[in-house]
Amino acid sequence: MSLLAARDVSVAYGGVHAVDGVSLDLSAGEALGLIGPNGAGKSSLLAGLGGQVRLAGGSITLDGDEIGGLPAFKRARRGITRTFQMTSEFARMTVFENLVVAGHGAHGAALRNVVLRRRETRLAEQEIARLAWSILDRFEMSQAADLYGAELSGGQRRLVEIMRCLMREPKVLLLDEPMVGVAPHLVEKLITDLRSIQGDGIALVIVEHALEVVQELCGRVVVMALGRSLASGTFDAVVADPSVQAAYVG
Amino acid sequence: MTAWSYYIATLTVYFGVNVLSALSLNLQFGFAGVVNFGYIIFQAVGAYFAAVVVLGPSGGTFQQYIFGARLPFPVELLVATAAGAGLSLLIGLFSLRNIRRDYQAAILLILSLIATQVVQGYVPLFNGSNGVTGIPRPFFSLPPTLQDYQWAYAGWVLVLCAAVYVLVSWLSRSPWGRALRAMRDQEEAATSLGLNVTALRLQVFVIGGAIAGLSGGLLVEYIGAWSPDAWGYAETFVIFTAIFVGGVGNYRGAVLGVLLVPIIFLELPRFLPQVGYPGLMDSLEWVAIGAIWMLCLYVRPQGILPEKRKLARRQDAADATPKSIVKRVEAT
Repeated sequence: MSLLAARDVSVAYGGVHAVDGVSLDLSAGEALGLIGPNGAGKSSLLAGLGGQVRLAGGSITLDGDEIGGLPAFKRARRGITRTFQMTSEFARMTVFENLVVAGHGAHGAALRNVVLRRRETRLAEQEIARLAWSILDRFEMSQAADLYGAELSGGQRRLVEIMRCLMREPKVLLLDEPMVGVAPHLVEKLITDLRSIQGDGIALVIVEHALEVVQELCGRVVVMALGRSLASGTFDAVVADPSVQAAYVG
Repeated sequence: MTAWSYYIATLTVYFGVNVLSALSLNLQFGFAGVVNFGYIIFQAVGAYFAAVVVLGPSGGTFQQYIFGARLPFPVELLVATAAGAGLSLLIGLFSLRNIRRDYQAAILLILSLIATQVVQGYVPLFNGSNGVTGIPRPFFSLPPTLQDYQWAYAGWVLVLCAAVYVLVSWLSRSPWGRALRAMRDQEEAATSLGLNVTALRLQVFVIGGAIAGLSGGLLVEYIGAWSPDAWGYAETFVIFTAIFVGGVGNYRGAVLGVLLVPIIFLELPRFLPQVGYPGLMDSLEWVAIGAIWMLCLYVRPQGILPEKRKLARRQDAADATPKSIVKRVEAT
């Protein structure tokens, strides 16, 4: 059984169908690339999977449970987190805070827990802090723990977004153009980091215009054009597909 | 000397009431990013309820109002707090849904304008533009002189200010407060990490509304009268200016802002010679408030006392960011 299964997913803005009946399956630890020309509907599909937009049709299951009707925060609690095309670090919070606010249980974010379950909240906070430090260590960002999100470089911001997602111990990580704004010499490091995340059994869905990154990271690729899935398979197979070449070249 | 003492005591009460407003708005705006341009209506509703629940039933009196009762001190303040919270919940449920933040601000501003018109225009509800007067002061006959009473009341207001200061500071430092700041900085990202931003926004709105209601109750018991004219939408902007001057996301900054803007800046013209026609100085005050706000946004948007950086603590602190780096970055 697939970890994540999307069936005939549609996303519409007004009368315009940005995504029109796309289906895909994803297994644990798999990296799936979503490529296609501008306006193909890749980011909209990601938003549909993550719950940022309401589905106009279709269904999404995670571990066999239907999640297509759930709001984004509930999907995140089930194990689907994401990064955004424009970096979305919490600018006036430190890197450490950026991580702990996403703490796996979000225990302390509930007001009733802060007020009524103070001891449990304190213990949960200690646990979350330990996890945050271990993630910072793993990605060699401990030195930047006290820097504000707004004070980071483009590459560091991307890394903070990804580390923050890991705080939720996700099953699926949706990455919307993770290499945008990353200095060329850091791209290789980010690819290595993503591989290591994949090695943890976390499934990745990557929307990326830098095809060499997709080629390097993704075992399987779905090509989209005009809201539909045009082709899927290995990177080499889909780029050789004449319909894909036509979609890109026009 | 007595006149000065009365003046300073009254100013202290106003200071306290404004501090409560600034703490409340700073929690909502400075920490959660909720732009409550309708703040004044929550203060006004608290003031109204605190007034009518001690005035007694309205039947047979020269004033018409609803919810009249005769409740003992300090129940009327609890009622005022609950009224502010209740109205916030009611308004928050439809105005703070998943719509853009600037639209939320516009809705709240429009609501405050509508509320003033409704209250002024429909007399049986809240006695129209006349408002209600003769509100009994709690324990008024206890202190030997009026002056003693004023100072005792000012002390009582400051005690409540201190209590609310401790409460909002504690809440803002908590993981819940951290979630509010995440929502403020990047709402969509906060949602995608599992935070229920609709609930967070509503909670902070209700807590702020409760504090607003309490502050209104304290003020109305001091001045002994309630009139819709005194709770115009522009009052909200004075508090916003105070927060921007003092420091957004910093409660000490909010208190400093109150001292500088509604107390020192708005009281100063009383001691200056009148210029131009009567009322010109008052009008210029409002112009100046707007100018201060804009100047502050341009020159120092973080205010005099900016939000404090919360440094991470680790058992083995060797990996923490060296202080020199933090200082260097802060200096840029």
